[in-house]
Amino acid sequence: MTTIEPLAIELRRLSFQYPNGRRALDEISCTISRGDRIAIVGPSGAGKSTLLMHLNGLLPTTAVGTDEESQVLVHGAGVIRSRLRDVRRQVGFLFQDPDDQLFCPTVREDVAFGPLNLGVDRKEVLARVERGLAAVEMSDCSARNPAELSTGERKRVCLAGVLACEPSILVLDEPTSNLDPRARRQLLSILKAFTGTQIVATHDLDFVLDLCDRVLVLDAGKVQADGKTERILSDPLIMDRHGLEVPWRLRPANR
Amino acid sequence: MKLAITMTVILVAGLVPLEHWPAQGLLLAITFTGLSLAGVTMRYLLRRLVLFLPLLLVFGLSVPAAGASDLAWSWTISMWLRCTVSFMAGLWLIHVLPFPELLSTLRRWRCPLVLIAMLGFMYRYTFILWDELRRLRNARDARAFGGNSWWRSWSINSQMIGLLLLRAMERAERTHRAMLSRGWDGSIRFLNMDE
Amino acid sequence: MHIRDGILGPEVCVAAAAISVGAISYSLRRLRADLDDRAVPVTGMLAALVFAGQMVNFPLPGLPVSGHLLGGVLAAVILGPWAGCIAVAMVLTVQAVLFSDGGLLSLGANVLNMGVIGAWGGYAVYSTVRRFLGNGNAATVTAAMLAAWSSVLAAAALFCVEFACSSSTKGFDPRVVLTLMVLYHALIGVGEALITGSILGFVLARRADLVPALLPTTSVRAVGGFVASGLVFALAVAALLAPFKSDWPDGLDAISEKLGFARLEAERPPLLFEDYELPIPSISWWPHMSVSAAGVLGTLVVFAGALALAGLARRQVNSQEFSS
Repeated sequence: MTTIEPLAIELRRLSFQYPNGRRALDEISCTISRGDRIAIVGPSGAGKSTLLMHLNGLLPTTAVGTDEESQVLVHGAGVIRSRLRDVRRQVGFLFQDPDDQLFCPTVREDVAFGPLNLGVDRKEVLARVERGLAAVEMSDCSARNPAELSTGERKRVCLAGVLACEPSILVLDEPTSNLDPRARRQLLSILKAFTGTQIVATHDLDFVLDLCDRVLVLDAGKVQADGKTERILSDPLIMDRHGLEVPWRLRPANR
Repeated sequence: MKLAITMTVILVAGLVPLEHWPAQGLLLAITFTGLSLAGVTMRYLLRRLVLFLPLLLVFGLSVPAAGASDLAWSWTISMWLRCTVSFMAGLWLIHVLPFPELLSTLRRWRCPLVLIAMLGFMYRYTFILWDELRRLRNARDARAFGGNSWWRSWSINSQMIGLLLLRAMERAERTHRAMLSRGWDGSIRFLNMDE
Repeated sequence: MHIRDGILGPEVCVAAAAISVGAISYSLRRLRADLDDRAVPVTGMLAALVFAGQMVNFPLPGLPVSGHLLGGVLAAVILGPWAGCIAVAMVLTVQAVLFSDGGLLSLGANVLNMGVIGAWGGYAVYSTVRRFLGNGNAATVTAAMLAAWSSVLAAAALFCVEFACSSSTKGFDPRVVLTLMVLYHALIGVGEALITGSILGFVLARRADLVPALLPTTSVRAVGGFVASGLVFALAVAALLAPFKSDWPDGLDAISEKLGFARLEAERPPLLFEDYELPIPSISWWPHMSVSAAGVLGTLVVFAGALALAGLARRQVNSQEFSS
């Protein structure tokens, strides 16, 4: 009988220090189950992006050798050098700045980049591009130059490119930055439709309220709080101590 | 296909012997027709020509200046004609061949894939860098109050380019990471849309 | 600086293109070896940067025209000669194809002049001078400035050679053209040196780690670099001294001759280096001097500028250390 590994992500006392000595992550341990939607919040410089980049093997830049040494496990397997390609197939990463991710001359080629790298055959690549663009409601823009698109549209194309790899875990770094309210709403509805695990690092606490059921507060490289969204975000003590604010919706006067 | 046509026109223009005026006139007419067919307005053409011609004129005049003779003059004039024909042929190419198509043409001509990938990047990032440059320029102008000495504006411009360089390198690093995240392993693959 | 179609003869263009293709293939191979999978985004970005940087206007005092960065040496210093050459080649290609700024057939010649001589040759000069001057930001900036000036002049000299070889110019005397080119580019080289130097100084002050150390060299390569830079200098100097060679009397001299003296036989084909007697014309030697004076002046200006900028860079580095 095959047992399905329930844990999407497991962090075992994850620590990381930059080459200049700055300690970015300090013994972080946490587990994330399949289908969870968890937000990572905290002040700037807390280590959010650093943590995210461990999830698909971008950090550390020197590869970890064996499963036992690995401090990051994706679907039960350690993020080690020999497995990087698989990890990156399973973990889709959406970067903060869409211009960092859109590097092909046309939208269609960019969305096709991921599937092509994964060795998928041509017909399937085209099908995935179709599906990806449809999921983000950008199907009519496939031949356009990304430079002509608005920020929100570019963000959606990036997401399409990530979805085309068909990951089971989605990692998003500040997804709503620079988005106007309508683009933000569109992004939210697209993400709600995604059924896999989602890990979002963001300052946008209203977005967190709408999307995520669990919140992890990161400050100074350590996990400061971990629990259900409403409980954490409505606690003024936790919020104040870590440079955050209770969202308007949760303030007692507004309930 | 279109690239081949353009190259042929330019080659022919270059090979036409010096005093064969009818041939040059014919080439001029061909390119002009091509441009009109491609939808290039007269104003646009004139504007581009105005930018293009002065230096060429000076260059051409320097030859007769050395010792005016029939031969020198006919060389100069035919050089002007040749250059103009080639320039217009080039303009034609710009208007009928969008950049992504150019890249697939190059692919068909067996240009190394690495170069084509780099060209694609360059094309895309030129727009981004132009935007950044525009923003930097606006920021500079907002505090310039005009009347800068040329030395000062040189140093400001150099700083702008330097800053652009730094940002560009950092962006290249981030882009590399984004490529890795989507499974990039160094080999270049293209989506062939022709079939 | 960008050569248009119709100026050089087709055989010259084809030959130049062949050399350029070889150079680019070699650069590609070396680049992949050095940078591996980072090569594509980084070189593409550098090319975009050179392209964007060429759009910035540097107003010239008192003149309605403005100067621009060419960028070959800058590219080579930041990312090494291989990436530099490829980046410049790509910029030239895009300019030719998308803006008709420079001919398609003569693209090979342009790449040869500005990419190979400009980036490779520039880097050779840069590394040789830098090795000679030692470490430190001042040394880097100075070396780069010298490299920038000499690469511009060498490229112009190479153009003159290409022009002279072109079949379309046989049958008359292109001396004036060549002299003007050399003069003009000696001055442009100064501008390029100044701009390159100040950009590099800025970058060094902020992120010195972005300017890599010189390529590791075996003694063979060091000698090769020396020889290459020697060649570049030789080209530049030859261009300056050309007016003294008998078969290439100064263009200004030619004009003055025409005014009062024998007319040039336009039919006489330009034979390079035919004989070496120095015809000291009865008219004053001022025209000869003017060309070389321009060259010497240019060199002095570059040195002075280099020292000044190096001083600025040092001061900036010091203040950076204070503030951080």
